Amino acid sequence: MKIAFTTTGTDWDSKIDPRFGRTDFILFYDEDIEEISTIDNREIVNVAHGAGPKTAQHIFDHAPDVLITGNGPGGNAAAILATMQLKIYTGAGGMTVREAYDALKNNQLPEGV
Amino acid sequence: MKEIVIISGKGGTGKTSVAAALAFIVPKAVMADCDVDAADLHLILKPEIRTSEDFYSGVKAEIDPGMCIGCWECERVCRFNAISHASSIYKVNPLDCEGCGYCNQICPAQAISLPQQMVGQCFVSDTRFGCRLVHAKLGIGADNSGKLVAKVKKEAKQEALRTGMDYILVDGSPGIGCPVISSLSGADFVILVTEPTLSGLSDLQRVWQLTAQFNIPAGCLINKADLNSQITAQIKDYLAQQGIWHLDDLPYDEDFSRAITLGQSLVEYNPGKWKTRFDIIWQSISKELK
Repeated sequence: MKIAFTTTGTDWDSKIDPRFGRTDFILFYDEDIEEISTIDNREIVNVAHGAGPKTAQHIFDHAPDVLITGNGPGGNAAAILATMQLKIYTGAGGMTVREAYDALKNNQLPEGV
Repeated sequence: MKEIVIISGKGGTGKTSVAAALAFIVPKAVMADCDVDAADLHLILKPEIRTSEDFYSGVKAEIDPGMCIGCWECERVCRFNAISHASSIYKVNPLDCEGCGYCNQICPAQAISLPQQMVGQCFVSDTRFGCRLVHAKLGIGADNSGKLVAKVKKEAKQEALRTGMDYILVDGSPGIGCPVISSLSGADFVILVTEPTLSGLSDLQRVWQLTAQFNIPAGCLINKADLNSQITAQIKDYLAQQGIWHLDDLPYDEDFSRAITLGQSLVEYNPGKWKTRFDIIWQSISKELK
């Protein structure tokens, strides 16, 4: 299973970015090969409008099975993500990636959108 | 550190009066005015600017006359009629240019560039209430955007971290568009300010749909509640049905306009009447945030 996190950094101890569209990084953890990869999304700061759909495009391109974030995507981003086989979990704002991953495994994250 | 966003959906409900009252009461807070189209918190907080930074957003086409071969292609494709020529000198009218970039794509001589536009400035200021204020000023005709709101909020967050503050109070903009979404993102609590009119109720419903999508807990203040008891009752029904916390009913009171005319927060204009009231509102919110 491949899991995407919206994060403020690039490792297990980074905090989850509660924002979806304007998240600093997207971190992917592929459980099958136990490997982390990241996308630097910080150039989104230069996007005046439509940050959500642009970040959703990155998620779409990498086709994870699960997305873990804070507040959840907005309407336009959610419409893009709804076209994928993707489970979205929210409420992880303030956790580290590791804590959010553990929370997922213990069914402690609300499933959203 | 907790971030509290004050929004209304509809303009003119008293959102900024509430924000200014809370600015006076909330301890250890940084204020952020994200209603950048119609910024007005500064009228009450009277900021002294400490740092300012130019803000760039969007692009506009510019034709380099030295490279232009006068082929007419750019003028032909421009959907906004922003390009015109006199003899063979081609010019972009910046008031009409939307920055779509079609001309830049199509120009065979690569004579058209798309420089970023300086649209305003972002400030970090001291205020007479002791709290810092992060605010912005846009040039004429420039639009607020999710980008600018994200910038103001980021500065406010850094300021709060640097100075050890506990809260960020964000005065959001009306509506439900990009700037509002950006002001909600990452927030811990939302204060919805509404009024008992049909548009107040309708816009409350729209902005709540947005807030609910982001799973942010919210409380609602009904301002001027005694002006229309029937719609106030409808609003309360809606709050109960949606699980929105009803914070308080504020009466219609000319103190609101008198305080603003004097450039004061309600709480300093008439502390006897308003201080305890807003203290109680704030105490219940801060308890909820713990």
